[in-house]
Amino acid sequence: MSRFFARSDSESEESSSDDEITDKAPGATFKQSLLLSDDEEDTKRVVRSAKDKRFEELTNLIKTIRNAMKIRDMSKCLEEFEQLCRAFLKSKNIVDKEGIPPFYIRLLADLEDYLNQLWEDKEGKKKMNKNNAKALSTLRQKIRKYNRDFESEIAAYKENPQESADEEEEEKEPEDSGSSSDSEGEVSSKSFLKKKPEAPSEATKFLKTAKGSGDESSSSDEDDDDGDWSPSDTGSSSETSDKEEENALKRKRLVTFLKVQRAQDTEKPGVRKEERKKKPKQKEQIEEEAEEEGGWEKVNRGVPLVKEKPKMFAKGTEINTAVVVKKLNEILQARGKKGTDRAAQIELFHALAAIAAENNLGQGILVKIKFNIIASLYDYNPNLAAFMKPDMWKKCLDCIDELLDILFEHNNIFIGENIAEDSENLAVSDQPFRVRGCILTLVERMDEEFTKIMQNTDPHSQEYVDNLKDEGRVCGIVDRLLTYLENKGSTEEICRVYLRRIMHTYYKFDYKAHRRSLGLQGETKSEQDQEESKEESKEESKEESKGESEGEDSAVIMDRLCKFIYAKDRTDRIRTCAILCHIYHHALHSRWYQARDLMLMSHLQDNIQHADPPVQILYNRTMVQLGICAFRQGMIKDAHNALLDIQSSGRAKELLGQGLLMRNMQERNAEQEKIEKRRQVPFHMHINLELLECVYLVSAMLLEIPYMAAHEFDARRRMISKQFHHQLRVGERQPLLGPPESMREHVVAASKAMKMGDWRTCHSFIINEKMNSKVWDLFPEAQRVREMLVRKIQEESLRTYLFTYSSVYDSISMATLSEMFELEMPTVHSIISKMIINEELMASLDQPTQTVVMHRTEPTSLQNMALQLAEKLGNLVENNERVFDLKQGVYGGYFNRDQKGGYQQKQSYQRDQKSYQQKQSGYQRGGYRNQNQGNY
Amino acid sequence: MFLIFSKLKKKTMDVYTTNLVVLKIIKHYQEEGQGSEVVQGVLLGLVVDDRLEITNCFPFPQHTEDDADFDEVQYQMEMMRSLRHVNIDHLHVGWYQSTYYGSFVSRALLDSQFSYQHAIEESVVLIYDPIKTAQGSLSLKAYRLTPKLMEICKEKDFTPEGLKKANIGFEQMFEEVPIVIKNSHLINVLMWELEDKSTVADKHELLNLSSSNHLEKSLQLLMDRVDDMSQDIVKYNTYSRNLSKQQQQKHQYLQRRQQENAQRQSRGEPPLPEEDISKLFKPPQPPPRMDTLLIAGQINNYCQNVKEFTSQNLGKLFMAEALQGHN
Repeated sequence: MSRFFARSDSESEESSSDDEITDKAPGATFKQSLLLSDDEEDTKRVVRSAKDKRFEELTNLIKTIRNAMKIRDMSKCLEEFEQLCRAFLKSKNIVDKEGIPPFYIRLLADLEDYLNQLWEDKEGKKKMNKNNAKALSTLRQKIRKYNRDFESEIAAYKENPQESADEEEEEKEPEDSGSSSDSEGEVSSKSFLKKKPEAPSEATKFLKTAKGSGDESSSSDEDDDDGDWSPSDTGSSSETSDKEEENALKRKRLVTFLKVQRAQDTEKPGVRKEERKKKPKQKEQIEEEAEEEGGWEKVNRGVPLVKEKPKMFAKGTEINTAVVVKKLNEILQARGKKGTDRAAQIELFHALAAIAAENNLGQGILVKIKFNIIASLYDYNPNLAAFMKPDMWKKCLDCIDELLDILFEHNNIFIGENIAEDSENLAVSDQPFRVRGCILTLVERMDEEFTKIMQNTDPHSQEYVDNLKDEGRVCGIVDRLLTYLENKGSTEEICRVYLRRIMHTYYKFDYKAHRRSLGLQGETKSEQDQEESKEESKEESKEESKGESEGEDSAVIMDRLCKFIYAKDRTDRIRTCAILCHIYHHALHSRWYQARDLMLMSHLQDNIQHADPPVQILYNRTMVQLGICAFRQGMIKDAHNALLDIQSSGRAKELLGQGLLMRNMQERNAEQEKIEKRRQVPFHMHINLELLECVYLVSAMLLEIPYMAAHEFDARRRMISKQFHHQLRVGERQPLLGPPESMREHVVAASKAMKMGDWRTCHSFIINEKMNSKVWDLFPEAQRVREMLVRKIQEESLRTYLFTYSSVYDSISMATLSEMFELEMPTVHSIISKMIINEELMASLDQPTQTVVMHRTEPTSLQNMALQLAEKLGNLVENNERVFDLKQGVYGGYFNRDQKGGYQQKQSYQRDQKSYQQKQSGYQRGGYRNQNQGNY
Repeated sequence: MFLIFSKLKKKTMDVYTTNLVVLKIIKHYQEEGQGSEVVQGVLLGLVVDDRLEITNCFPFPQHTEDDADFDEVQYQMEMMRSLRHVNIDHLHVGWYQSTYYGSFVSRALLDSQFSYQHAIEESVVLIYDPIKTAQGSLSLKAYRLTPKLMEICKEKDFTPEGLKKANIGFEQMFEEVPIVIKNSHLINVLMWELEDKSTVADKHELLNLSSSNHLEKSLQLLMDRVDDMSQDIVKYNTYSRNLSKQQQQKHQYLQRRQQENAQRQSRGEPPLPEEDISKLFKPPQPPPRMDTLLIAGQINNYCQNVKEFTSQNLGKLFMAEALQGHN
């Protein structure tokens, strides 16, 4: 057959043909109606002259094209084809009335096949002259595009080619000779053309006759037949392409044999013919590839086959487990092969399942088939990177649900990956069923596909929301599986499914529990203890409460699941993920100490860099969440430290897996980008980046501004947060300062106010409507966070104020300070005391008058400057000495030359300097200056 | 006529200058200079006996980068021609420049003063310090390059060796020329009258006690210079280390060669041909020392300023203390 010569050259075409496959299914259903209209038309054609004229024109053109095809004159073909298209366009209104003339469709189909054959025939192509080759490629592209409009018609035609047309009759005769001459390789284009429509038509004829003649053959007979075919089946499929040439010959012979046979025994049911025909199809990969290319007809032959099959089976009367299993294996053999019609396969499985159910073959076989359905659903997308279509996925979801239903209903079904194929027990219902397959893997895959779907959906569309609604179902399935596996699965499996559960839980804020704890807060202070006791009681009543786990506190669930994993898991990865999720969950629910302790105990910070990227992303997410949690709790320093790594890189987006940075485009190629895209976290799990940045900047502000005030004159002061300084600088560079707009501008403006100790302005910049809507309202306990912030701002402003202006005060009353910053006296007292103790503020508290008495030992700015200058001069002198050393040829350095009188003086100056500095450093805030003295 | 004079020690000449010139310079700064920006202009006058009389001046226009086609020389010529028409001395005798806290010793100043002095031997640069002037005492100084420095500049030999040979230190780079401001008697009369009329507060600006601001600025600048100096020294240090290292290598190489030759001689073979050692060991590029010298000069200048300022201030403080005590 002509298909032998067809060969697909690229995979991209495969994907496009995939789409077509799905589209074709409806095409097949149109068939009937179209056929009717065709018949009508034929009779009408004689009557109408306008139509006749147009159609004559078309037929003439078609004739010339056919002639050109015969002599392989591609350029002529192209020319004529273009004319034809134009003519067809002209006759559009007629066509609209009458429907597309069948001969036109026939030509389109034939031409495309013909072109594809030519295209595949590499040697022939080489022989072609340049003009022709060029025309061939353009024509091929053209027709492909053109045919897309007539897809359904062509499909229908291929389904059941009409033989009414005159040419058809002519073409019919060389059919047999054509098929035999195939083996010669050099086949005339004509024979190609003719055969193709023939074969299917014949097939359908057979089919009809078969139906008419009734089913004489038993199913066992058919099974034998299958047996005959299957060896060649597997054999040829495993052949490598090198041997294709000779194989082609063999296959051809097989086919011709088949045909002869078919021609001979018309008594055999047509369906079987169909099946046989299908089998060579499965065998011959090359052929399949041709199908990918553009061979519409084959795919479409497949579709009715699918439709036919169940019927056939039903008629095969004696349906038992063995038969079904056999059938199943048969279908499975096609799996994974190039060009297997995956949609059809799924249909087949479904049909099979229906048959099995109908015939009460037992749950074992049903489970088995279900497994295969799900697997083939996953197979539907050949590319791992591509995501499943949501409806496919939903189908899959249904299947899994059903499967779980069965498994729950029937306790005597054992499933497992390691049950060998031959030790399966599908039939005998008195013994427990044993089925090979792993539901956990299927569910995991389903979950991954869900993630993929979410990744590939525009997060701002309604579609995303719709998809997200399915998350509940996913969770439900995971939950059910969890219950199932808790009873039946091994520890590893339980760990895996637990992790799945955790993955679906950890990022969700448990509003119910939050509300509950709010209600309880008044009664018990230690939420933690309460939780633990709650947990214990829950542990006992775990079994009963399983069903209503929705109402259960997610913290308790997390705790239970994670602890199980900690105890039982043997793979590091699951445990790591579980810990991270646990920490995340703690942090999300403001259980800072638990989260922190867990993080510290796990030592993840030390070895996370060895983990794989998804785990690292999870780690980053956890750290960020931890930081935000610390911030909510008012642990500004901890918050800053936790967020520093993520924020300072400036790639927070990337590190959190929430998007790719554009600037990296050059650094990575398309492949890497794909991988990175696959790692992205779905949108509904995102951590708000603006919130993150704001939290970071505000904590940096609260730390940095007092620090800056304290070390204003220090030449070597270090930055706590580079990013914050960067923002400040950006703010300073602005030529015109308007009222702040963005979150950053707000923080910068607030920082400026805070520098002056003006907490009210600072407060109004940090907490206002804009910032509320942008940031603060995103917290679950917004009000509490705001209160905390105000307090922090007051405190830090007080500190800044004291640092900045202490030099102008002799003494200051604490009452005034408390009034200025609206802090209670004890707070002011404690802040000032802390500053005094830390030697940040040179002052003492005068108890009776409640005043702070400044010691005024701080060097003034001029003195500071002089100190710096002295230091610099010291360096200069030292450098100078080095030059002198070199001149003298003494490399001993500065200290060895005590005996040289000239320097002694200088050195003593240095010593003075040093001791002076030492004295100074006593007054220096912080005393970090000591390290400088190492230089001397 | 108002004249500014300047005295040259060897080559005679005080610089005699006039109120007109001084006021014009001050006005120029007031109008165009601000902060650390510098204004410049041309001095006109003539040499009489041993005096350099500066009788007039005109400013260089401030021009931005956009009008790059502005021809400064052309402008000067035009200006001088025009002044000549109104019978003003049109001879070029130098230039003036304002300064910011005494920071004027720079490469640019050196270069332009060199070109002036190269063309007109007597030319001077007047340095006007607006900040000090604002504190109550007019600060106007005339400088000239010393003959030694002139020579070096002529040879353009700024290597350490060259400077060493010339035996020049930062002290001997510039020489200050005394200035005499000479006014006509009429003006003097007017001045006396004005002095009587001016308020007390105007006169006592120099009694201002606040010092830290000025000192801070000076220290800041001084520190910057010291940093530069340090860097230069480090550079020089590396250079000399490299040099000595290379010298050592060269020495070793020569010794080895000598030994080999001695061996060959003893074996009766011809000695190895002499190779160009300088090709083998390219001496490292010596860092130019002129900048260091200038920095040193500048530091010196700052120190002088600070010293002067502090001593004045100290005096003022003592005075204030005494007054306080008596009150």
